[in-house]
Amino acid sequence: MEAKNYIESGKLELYVLGQLEAEEQIEVEKMIAKYPEVKQEVDAIEFAMEQYALYHAIPPPPDMDRMILDEIRKTTLPLKVSIYEPKIKKLRIALVACAALLVLSLVALYSTYDKLNNAKDQIVSLNLEKEKFTTTVTFMKQTNADLQKIANMRDDPDWKTVKLSGTKMDPKAKMVVYWHVTGKHVLMDLSKLNLPVNDQEHQYQLWALVNGKPVDLGVFDVKPDASQILANMKGIASAQTFAVTLEKRGGSSSPTMNQMIVAGNVSI
Amino acid sequence: MAPKIAANLPEEELISKLKSRDTTVIQVLYNMYSGALFGVISRTIQQTVVAEDLLQETFIKIWNAADSYDSSKGHLFTWMMRIAHNLCIDKLRSKDYKNSIKNQDLENNVDFIDEQKEVTFNADLLGLKDMVNALKPELHSVLNMVYFKGYTHVEAAEELHLPVGTVKTRIRMAIIELRKHFN
Repeated sequence: MEAKNYIESGKLELYVLGQLEAEEQIEVEKMIAKYPEVKQEVDAIEFAMEQYALYHAIPPPPDMDRMILDEIRKTTLPLKVSIYEPKIKKLRIALVACAALLVLSLVALYSTYDKLNNAKDQIVSLNLEKEKFTTTVTFMKQTNADLQKIANMRDDPDWKTVKLSGTKMDPKAKMVVYWHVTGKHVLMDLSKLNLPVNDQEHQYQLWALVNGKPVDLGVFDVKPDASQILANMKGIASAQTFAVTLEKRGGSSSPTMNQMIVAGNVSI
Repeated sequence: MAPKIAANLPEEELISKLKSRDTTVIQVLYNMYSGALFGVISRTIQQTVVAEDLLQETFIKIWNAADSYDSSKGHLFTWMMRIAHNLCIDKLRSKDYKNSIKNQDLENNVDFIDEQKEVTFNADLLGLKDMVNALKPELHSVLNMVYFKGYTHVEAAEELHLPVGTVKTRIRMAIIELRKHFN
């Protein structure tokens, strides 16, 4: 009954003619959805108006369709886009893959860089150890050679061992000098040396007393860590006494007597 | 490259092509309906050049607004016709158009428009005459004011000095008459 009244109200015709306000339009749409007979009536009205319009058709001027299509194709490119879409998709995937690879490469590069730095550090520390080792080996060779020399001295009667002992200046001081009379060699045994460490302004000077006259045999420093056992000094052919004085750095031409720290006579 | 375009297609196919943005559907719609749309447009807007522009605009709007078409609310043609109709009404109410009509009125007498009309109607004069003869004049004049002249049914009532209810009834009766002929 509601449907029949609605059909007869004339609203459906106005609906098809686009004569209704938005609210009424929605109302009609609801009625169409609700009553099949209302829908059927609207269909019939639409069909009639369509036929009426076709009956009154006026052909547009020729080429109008071309103009319209050109206009539409100019403003919208959905078909062309759909041609490129798979390509764009592929490119997108490639882009993502590239980005992922880039990230991986950066991580690998960073890790390699880190390892390289570690390796460099290791090389540096290994080099340091190697140097230390070399130094030690050199020191040991030197020491060995010196010890061999000292051992050989017993078989050679020309070698004389001169023990120098402390004076008033430092009674605890002592040292040993080896002297080869014919070869004119003078060696100090640093392993048996006990002198206070000298400062930067002063140096020890070794003297030989030859017939009461002091002869310079060279200057030397006393360091806390000696790198060798034997130290070569200037040679001399004859001497009765060896002595050491503390002099200004570089040595003096004659010994400062009150700075004599050790002295020892050559035993015959 | 371009596929062969059908002269006409069933409504469901037209709708699906329109929704899937297949531009070939515009050619089909044009083949099927451009005359019907142009018939209404050129009766509402009597300046031929303007009417042609509006037909073009109608098809462009059909294309651009395809997403908003809802088949549960009516036939595709009804929707297309509504687009044409609304564009005509907007044009009729625009200042430019009102001015151009005024100028024409000053330059020409009323006969000019009638002549124009006759030329426009010539194409299907025969068919129209049959229709006009078949419909009761007081019914068809109201329908035609609304369908072909861009009047709202309320404006038509004012113009004809009739109550709105009477206009509604006459429109309904006119369409019932039409249905007898076409259904």
